[in-house]
Amino acid sequence: MARYGMVIDETKCVGCYACRVACQNQNNLAEDEAYNYLEEREFGQFPLFTRVFLPVQCQHCDNPPCVTVCPTGASHKRKDGIVLVTEKDCIGCKYCIAACPYHVRIIRKQGYVEKCRFCVEFVEEGGKPACMTTCMTGVRLFGDLDDPASEIAQYIARNRHRLRPYKGEMNTKPRIFYRKA
Amino acid sequence: MPLKISRRGFLKGSALTAGALSLGTLGALDFRTWAKTNAAAPVRRVPTICNGCGNRCGLFAYVKNGRIWRIEGNPEANGNRGVLCPKGHGYLHDLYNPNRIRSPLKRVDGKFQPISWEQAYQEIAQKINLILMENGPESVFWVNYPQPNHAYALRFMHSLGSPHYFTHGSTCYTARNAAWNHTVGKLPSNDLANSRYILVIGRNPAGGVDLGQVKDIVRARENGAKLIVVDPRHSETAILADEWLPIKPGTDLALLLAMINVMVAERLYDARFVKENTVGFEQLEDEIINYPPQWAEKVCDIPAATIVRITREICRAKPHALIHRGYHGAIGAQYLNSFQTARALAIANALLGNINRKGGIYFAQSAGLGELQPTHPIPAGPAGPKADGTGIPGRYPLGSYGDGISHAIPELALRGILKCGFVYHHNPLRTNPNPKRVIAGYKKLDLLVVIDPVLSETASIAHYVLPASFYLETDEAVDTKHSGKRAQVSIQQKAIEPLFDSRSGFQIICDLAKHLGSARFFNFTLDEANELRLKPLGASLKELRAKGVLAVGPSWKEGIGKLETPSGKVEIASATLEGLGYPAIPRWQEPLVSPDPKDLHAFRLIHGKQAMHTHAMTANQPYLMAISRRYDLIRLWINRSRAEKLSLKDGDMVEIKSLVGEGKIRVKLTEGLHPSCVWLPSGYGVFSKHLTTAYDQGLSYNDFLPTLFDPTVGHAMSSEVIVQVRKV
Ligand code: SF4
Ligand code: SF4
Repeated sequence: MARYGMVIDETKCVGCYACRVACQNQNNLAEDEAYNYLEEREFGQFPLFTRVFLPVQCQHCDNPPCVTVCPTGASHKRKDGIVLVTEKDCIGCKYCIAACPYHVRIIRKQGYVEKCRFCVEFVEEGGKPACMTTCMTGVRLFGDLDDPASEIAQYIARNRHRLRPYKGEMNTKPRIFYRKA
Repeated sequence: MPLKISRRGFLKGSALTAGALSLGTLGALDFRTWAKTNAAAPVRRVPTICNGCGNRCGLFAYVKNGRIWRIEGNPEANGNRGVLCPKGHGYLHDLYNPNRIRSPLKRVDGKFQPISWEQAYQEIAQKINLILMENGPESVFWVNYPQPNHAYALRFMHSLGSPHYFTHGSTCYTARNAAWNHTVGKLPSNDLANSRYILVIGRNPAGGVDLGQVKDIVRARENGAKLIVVDPRHSETAILADEWLPIKPGTDLALLLAMINVMVAERLYDARFVKENTVGFEQLEDEIINYPPQWAEKVCDIPAATIVRITREICRAKPHALIHRGYHGAIGAQYLNSFQTARALAIANALLGNINRKGGIYFAQSAGLGELQPTHPIPAGPAGPKADGTGIPGRYPLGSYGDGISHAIPELALRGILKCGFVYHHNPLRTNPNPKRVIAGYKKLDLLVVIDPVLSETASIAHYVLPASFYLETDEAVDTKHSGKRAQVSIQQKAIEPLFDSRSGFQIICDLAKHLGSARFFNFTLDEANELRLKPLGASLKELRAKGVLAVGPSWKEGIGKLETPSGKVEIASATLEGLGYPAIPRWQEPLVSPDPKDLHAFRLIHGKQAMHTHAMTANQPYLMAISRRYDLIRLWINRSRAEKLSLKDGDMVEIKSLVGEGKIRVKLTEGLHPSCVWLPSGYGVFSKHLTTAYDQGLSYNDFLPTLFDPTVGHAMSSEVIVQVRKV
């Protein structure tokens, strides 16, 4: 059984939003529905200045508060680590939206809650998430953390000291690892 | 990667599939109905090229249920190698934009009436025949943003006997091209991936997106290359850089002259390359003494020590080092000194000995498409020169005859020289400087025909509007845009049937020519023409159709041969320029205008692209405009300390005013901008009421620009404008 995860290299994001629209198309989202967003941060003073874009999406937490609070079991964690929402079981109570510290869940116009699904159908057929494959700087790396031959496992082994969870203090145990400068 | 198909909802069974399949085109027009039912539908993949901007990235369009579902980058296409930008993903939705024109339109008493293609063609032909009789063929023009089928537009103009085929070049790149032409014989490319040191001046491939270049920069950085970005604004490319050098806008020439000064004074240049492959180095030595780094520091605000350091660093990495060949910013069509700046940039590269070297500046392989004759004869061509003066001594001798000076069209129309125009895939009313003047000029025309899928500003004042098919609806002429280390041909192909009564650009050009008695020059179908053009490359149309792009011809080889300059060498000093009355060696030249440093309200207005918008074309796309709104991107950037002196807070509304225009916009306070300027993202300020998403959102820099023509190539000098900024 694979154990999926992702690395996001926040030193490389140029804030183009291709991953937003690629994801919207992949998942048939309307123009104002998005499963990922960017946080822009500025550092320093002119002329010593720089800025960073931090791409955020469902972290597929190993300790997911959204799953804990879901009254119907619609939000659930799969064995391969992907957190999903079962559309038909979702009653739209939005508890999970409030519980998620990453603000990545949206209520769709159809009335149920959704969020990044790691492009699970693509992935099951050997593909990669759309946010990863469209990115011109290669910000994201996705794959099986348990397969030592996978690019992501090797990347993590090489860069362990540079990787951090986002909002690690929340103890959500994310499956997305951020590479810092 | 082999074709993979998502089957979301696969488990839900086949009942849904049956429903989905019977949905048909009608359901496909309605996104919500389609999205609900498309889950398990079969998927078709069509290779084609994007039309979200001029890069024309290779892509695969996935069609589900008769509707475009998603697109994916074609890994074979050199220009994008598997990735796509937000414009590509977003612009595909314009196919279903309710603002699209559904049939040819004729303007009667200020209102558009739908008419048939035949009626449109016949009426246009009758009017042109009259104009031809009264004013001669030179009074007819065609202007387009370059498209693969522009060769046929040129053929059309020539078949009428008119020299007046124009591109948007004079508002974009003509100074850069002329400078490279007069230095190394043609416009080169950058071998970014193999470079050890990359200096980017006034170019932002991560914002004015060039995906292949960004991929190469990232790869070079991973291999240890250093990236320095010189830009008044902390650009998106600067995010990837080791260093951002915020230069005072309009003074890039000073930086380059000082770098050359250091290279010469400290003998850091490639002496052997200079001796063997250049002419005029002695003249350069004499002139460049005038520009020490201490002088440049005062002019361009980059410390002398930094100039010396980066010059030493780049020279240490030579010849696998380069200064990006540039585009629109700084050297394309911005300043009075853009041509000299581009010359200095080309010469500085030559001193690195990097011309046609790995990791340097190189000449991309070109695919020589075949000709259509002898089977399909070429028209004799026009008798006289262009009325804009390109190529004429005393007017714009260095101007590009091929591009023409398209922002002179309104002037030529006001003077009665141009009477009838075709505007195709272009919107000069919004993308040319000084819109009031542009509107007056285009309105003066006896006949204006616009070919566009929507009622752009320009289409809104046309006498006839011919609906061009959306790029996913139609085949087009083969193209060679993706050429790099190997030449490539690419093709736009139909992914779905046209939704409305629209036609391809190629078809419209041929139809117009036929109705104007030029049928003998257009006696071929698109497939025949494409096959003839591919023939000398040994490429088959069938294979190209299957793959979308094909590599052709030999691979690039390092080494400089005889260049296409008069001397056959790199012209550090140019006798041609001297003969025409321009300096043989680049010299410092002040910008045309500069803000008064004592005036707290005076700023230079500069502009640039955001990654999600192309010219004025994508602002009407809800998926892309949703990004601009959600992230509050439609704002004027202003340096924080300057803003505070005007009591401005982030998000405040200001009024901007220049000699020719005024407007209101909210500000973004930032430390990432040179204090002497304000920066306006391009692509907004749409004023056609027919573009309902984009209408009245933000401003365009063109609203503030006077009509200007630089004295070398006649470009628009689109950053030579001072504005007054005031809190409202
Ligand atoms: S596609 Fe890549 S560079 Fe663009 S916003 Fe997403 S992560 Fe950032
Ligand atoms: S990021 Fe939010 S939605 Fe995703 S698993 Fe964690 S808590 Fe749940």
